[in-house]
Parts: sequence; C-alpha cells; structure tokens
Amino acid sequence: MNAPRLGGTTIGASGGTRRRFLGSFANYAFALPALVLFLMFVAYPILWVIDESLNPADGAGLSMSAYSAVLSDSVFWTALWNMTVWGVITIPVQMAIGGLIAYFIERHTFVLRGFFRTMFFLPVVTSVSVVAIVWVQIYAPYYGVGQEYLKYIGVHLSNSPLGDPHMAIYALIVVNIWQWTGFSMLMYIAGIANLPTEVLDAAKVDGATGWRLGLHVVIPMLAPATRSLLLLGVLGTLQTFPIVQLMTVGGPNHASEVFGTFIFKESFILNDAQKGGALSVIVLVLALALSLIQIFVFGARLAPTKGEA
Amino acid sequence: MRKSWMMAGGVVTALLLSIPAYAETKTVTVWSWFIQSTMNKSIAAFEKEHPDIQVKYVYYNYSPEYITALKAASASGSLPDVIGLQPGSLTQQYRPDLAPLNDKAAASWGASWADKVFPVNRKQMLMGNPQGDSNYYMIPQESQVLCVWYNRKIFDKIGLSVPKTYDELKAAASALTKAGYIPMFQGASDGWQNENVFLMLANEFSPGIVDKAQAGETPWTAPELVSAMKAWKGLFDDGIFQEGALGAHAYPTGAQLFAQGRVGMIALGSWWMQESKFPPPLSDYVQNMDGFDFFYLPAVPGAPQASPPVGGIDIGYGLTKNGEKNDAAWTFLASLTNGSALQQALNDLNDLPAFDGHAPQGDVSDHVKRMSARFMQDLSKAQNQRFADPKVAEALDNALAGVAAGSLKPEDALAAVQKAGASK
Repeated sequence: MNAPRLGGTTIGASGGTRRRFLGSFANYAFALPALVLFLMFVAYPILWVIDESLNPADGAGLSMSAYSAVLSDSVFWTALWNMTVWGVITIPVQMAIGGLIAYFIERHTFVLRGFFRTMFFLPVVTSVSVVAIVWVQIYAPYYGVGQEYLKYIGVHLSNSPLGDPHMAIYALIVVNIWQWTGFSMLMYIAGIANLPTEVLDAAKVDGATGWRLGLHVVIPMLAPATRSLLLLGVLGTLQTFPIVQLMTVGGPNHASEVFGTFIFKESFILNDAQKGGALSVIVLVLALALSLIQIFVFGARLAPTKGEA
Repeated sequence: MRKSWMMAGGVVTALLLSIPAYAETKTVTVWSWFIQSTMNKSIAAFEKEHPDIQVKYVYYNYSPEYITALKAASASGSLPDVIGLQPGSLTQQYRPDLAPLNDKAAASWGASWADKVFPVNRKQMLMGNPQGDSNYYMIPQESQVLCVWYNRKIFDKIGLSVPKTYDELKAAASALTKAGYIPMFQGASDGWQNENVFLMLANEFSPGIVDKAQAGETPWTAPELVSAMKAWKGLFDDGIFQEGALGAHAYPTGAQLFAQGRVGMIALGSWWMQESKFPPPLSDYVQNMDGFDFFYLPAVPGAPQASPPVGGIDIGYGLTKNGEKNDAAWTFLASLTNGSALQQALNDLNDLPAFDGHAPQGDVSDHVKRMSARFMQDLSKAQNQRFADPKVAEALDNALAGVAAGSLKPEDALAAVQKAGASK
C-alpha cells in the first residue's frame, strides 16, 4: 500500500502522528476562547466569592465563622423553606398548565394558533418591573384591580396577600407561575411539533384517544422537554430575585425572603461581604448538588436524543 | 482641483487650531440616583459658567443598581470623580474611597461655611465617623422635612379641617373612607416610609430618643419607644392607614393615587412639591400644588406633643480619591451643593436646600413659596431622620413590619432592634 501523498511529499508514520497531534491541538484551540471566558467570568468570580466568605473584614485570617453565622440565622432557614415551597409548587404547576395550553393550541387551534402562542408567551418577555407593578395593583384591596372583580361576587379583600406573612410567598408564587407558564408552553410546543405522527396514528388505531392518548402516549414522548424544564426550573428557583425584590423586598419581616434577596441584603445593604459570600457559596453548592442529582437520576439525558421527540 | 486641495488644507488647519481648545476641556464624571432631568439642568447651568469643564452624569436607580455599581467600582478602583451619597451608612461604607472636604469647603466658602448648613444636616454629615474624626466626607445638596400631606380640596369637599388631635385624625380617616377615598396611604412594603412614620411617633413621646438609642444612651426597649411602636400598630388598627397597607408601595402606587385625588393623606416629605414640576399632563391637584398642603402628625394617645419636624439630608455628594486629583470635580461639587447648579434643582422644587440662604426662583406659585418657607423654618429645628448603622435600620424595618402584621409584639420587636444595635 502506498503512503498517502500530500503536496508531492510522502507522509510516513511520524507525519501521521504529528498531524493527529496538530489536529487534536486545533480542536482544543477552538475551545480556548470559551475556556478563557469561563475562567474569567465564572471560575474567577466563584473563587473570589469563596475567598471573600472565608476572610473576615477585620483581617483576622481564614475563618468559617460566616458559614456558622448563616446556618444559625433563622432567616436562612426561612429562605430555604420558601425556596423549597417555590420549587415544589411552581415547577409542576407551570409544567402542567404550560403542557395543557401547548396541547390545546397545537391540536385544537388552526387559524389563530400564532395569536394564542404569542398571547400566552407575552408575560415571559414582559419586564419584571411591569409585572410587579401590575400584580401589586391586582392584589391591592379596595382600590385594586382584583377587588374590582371580586366585589361582583360579594368578596371584600381586607388585606393584600403580599402584606400577610403567611400568604406573601404564595402570592409571589402565583405571579411567578403567571409569568413563566408561557415558557413551559413553548418548550412543550417544540416537543409536540416533533412528535412522530405515525406513532400517534398507530396509538389511535390501537384505540387510544383523548386522555388515554395524552397520558400514555403524548406525555411519555414529551419526557425530554419535561426533564429540561425540571432542570431549568430548579436552577430558576434558586436564582429567584427580581420579582420578590420589587414586590415585597423579602418581607414582611422576612416572610417572603428568598436566597437572592437575602444575599443582596447581606452583601449590599448591610455591607457584610463575608456573610453574603458564605450564603452565595452555600446556594452554589446546593445548585450543583441538585443538578448532579438530576443528571444522576435522568442519566444526563436532559436534552432530546436521536429518536426522541 | 487646486480649489479642493485648498479647502482640504483649510479644514485640516481649522482642526489643528481647535485641538488646544479640546485639550483644555476638563471632564468630571458623576454618578448618582438624582433625577436625570433636573441634573441635566444643573449641569447646563454649571457648564455655562465653566465652559472649560464638561460633566458626564450617569443616573442609576438607587436600589439595586446604584449601590451595586458603587460596590463594584470601589472594589476595582474605578469610582467616578463625584458620587451621590446618603449620610450615615452609605457614606461610611465608602469613607476609605472619599476625600475629606473640610479644607476645600473652607477655601471656597470661608472658614465658617459649616454654620450655613442646617444643624440637623451638620449632625448627619458626621454620622458614623470614627471617634475623633471630624472630617466631612460628603457635602449635602438637598434637605427634607417629613410631614403628612393632605388633599385640601377633598378635605374642603367633605368638610374636614386639619386634624389637631388623634381623635380628629381618626375621624378624618373615617370620613374619608366613608366618602370613598383612601384615608392615609401607607406603602408599608417600603421600609423607608415605615421608618419615617415611626420617627414621627417616637419624637412625639420623647424628641431625640431615636438618636439616643442609636448612640447607645437609651435602650431600644425604652418605654417611650415601646409606646411609639404600639401607636404605630394603632395606625393600622384604627383605620388611619388604608386596608392592605402592608402589601402596598408608596411609589409609584401611593404617589399616583394621591396625585389623582383618590387619597386623603400620605406621610411623605417636602420632596412631594417636585410633582408640580413634572412634565404635563398634571392633575388639578398637582398643578402648582393647588390641591395639597401639609401638617405634622398630631399627638397619638399617651404622647405629650405632636410630632416635631423630622428630617435632614435628602442627598449629598462626595469627592472620591479619583476625583481629588481632578480640580474640576470639586468645582462642580461646590456648585451642585451651594451654587448655580443647586439653584436649578431648587427651581425644579426637587427639595429644600441643605445650606441656608437659598430659595426656589422662577415659575413657582405663591402657595408653593409659602410652603417652602414653612419647611425651611422647620428644618432649622428638625430632629434627625437618619440611621448610622444599616443593621439597626434593617432590624427596625423588620420590627415595624412584624408589629404591623401582628406577628411580633412591640416589646419583642424592639428587643430585636436592640440586639442588632448591640452586634455592631
């Protein structure tokens, strides 16, 4: 067998090795810009925050005191509870409503399909400030928008749920669901659009229609979209900040505190960078753990693979 | 062809001649949360007076943008020349980045310049400084006096007069509610408005007691402060504040409803007058402030007196260590706080001056001039509105929200404030 010729030069075994080396180097070189950006904007800030969390402002040397201060602060546990409630309620509810809307739009609308898609997606692209102002007005008793409707059925709101320590977090969850359901809908629309029609037709031939078709055929085939929404939902929950900051600032008396508002208060309002840093690290570890659990449970199949919808 | 070359040569010569003029222009960078439109007028007046100085202003929303931007810039050593400041904790937070201003102020305004600053402002300028540090790290631009604004047209319409006692205040709130108005709008989601009302109440029981508590001379659990906290709860329970106040915001909701004539009273401050200078359309109430006047909170049950004026610095400015190297920066700061740039802010009725001897000019109605003069008179005897330690302010915000919601007892709430103060 003749050795391959390139430009009139015969390339032997050592030439092939060199080319393979250069080829693999080139592959890594393509990843270099992303790596540099990752190191600059992700890795370095994380290390900086870890360093900040371990160094007291008085320069007394490395200390875990900020971590014990965070863990012994009742506000941290309130925020953790609120985050748990937030995730447990918002993620499945958004998925369920978003999935239903997507199914009905894709299967039962024709001419106005684009209109309905846009309308349900509109809250997702609306500024959080606008959403906050609108919902504060909706919740406001006796001059609010909600009250205007409720008075027709004889209901008189005597308090805003945002001002009730037992209700505030749930009132915010409702706003979050309203704003983000459109995103779940969009993900499911993409999934439904990719459903193989032959499978659906075969299921129908086998007698699966209506809810049976939905529960036993459509929903399992939309599993990749559901898994992606679950991962994004968990991360989104941990990142919750603007809507709470704008509507309740974490109050009343920390009742609706979430990690975002708690970190912001400690770091920027109370100027306690060490405690703010410790909180950030704890949230980062939590996010990492939750992501790893999901990857472990779902086998890293968080995006559609070949053959899946 | 020759003509073209001559023209090109002329343009190049003109450009070259203009270079020295550009080279002499100094630039001052300023960051603040101060309203952009008014700041633009101040800058225009200043640049007219100082054609060799160009001011570049960056507006930020106070929270979270401004305080976040300051922190990042401070960490990276890239603060602008001049920064907007509040007295107390914000100024103290950036004290290592700020230049002392005593000498520059004395050189510009004379050795006794500080005497022209209202006493409460002077006190606030030093608030939180380490023991023995008498340097001023900020110069106040504007002051404010807290008060209860009322809609005098609505009051006239339903036959109410300015309440002089707590019973009259309750009766006025009840009459307003019956007539379909919001009695006294409280945006109790906002810690700042709650603090303001609490300061009015606390000073009714014992003027200056909050300052004593801040200084550790009186415990936060003192009987007068417990009484003030009970009176605070009473404002909710007695129907003086609107239903659902705990979930409401003073801005934009309360201010808009008040401007539209749907609210009888609201606890704000002298800055409310600026509404009349906002771009049209303005409601009949806001036009020249025709619909509004103010009073101080009447004595609540058990309090020996009505609220004295409470107030102090609305906003001030500091010269950063970067700005210290730029002579033009102090020139602008001096004008903004006590010169032609300040006058523009006063003409916009943005708030009261921090230095005595200034007043709004131009298109200002007699009614507004009279109110402004009343505020100025009261400012000279005002009690301190500001907190030196953000932990105390934060704890007080939570205490007020907890008591108002009924989840905390006044004594327990104030014990938490005491604990926050002791943890300094």
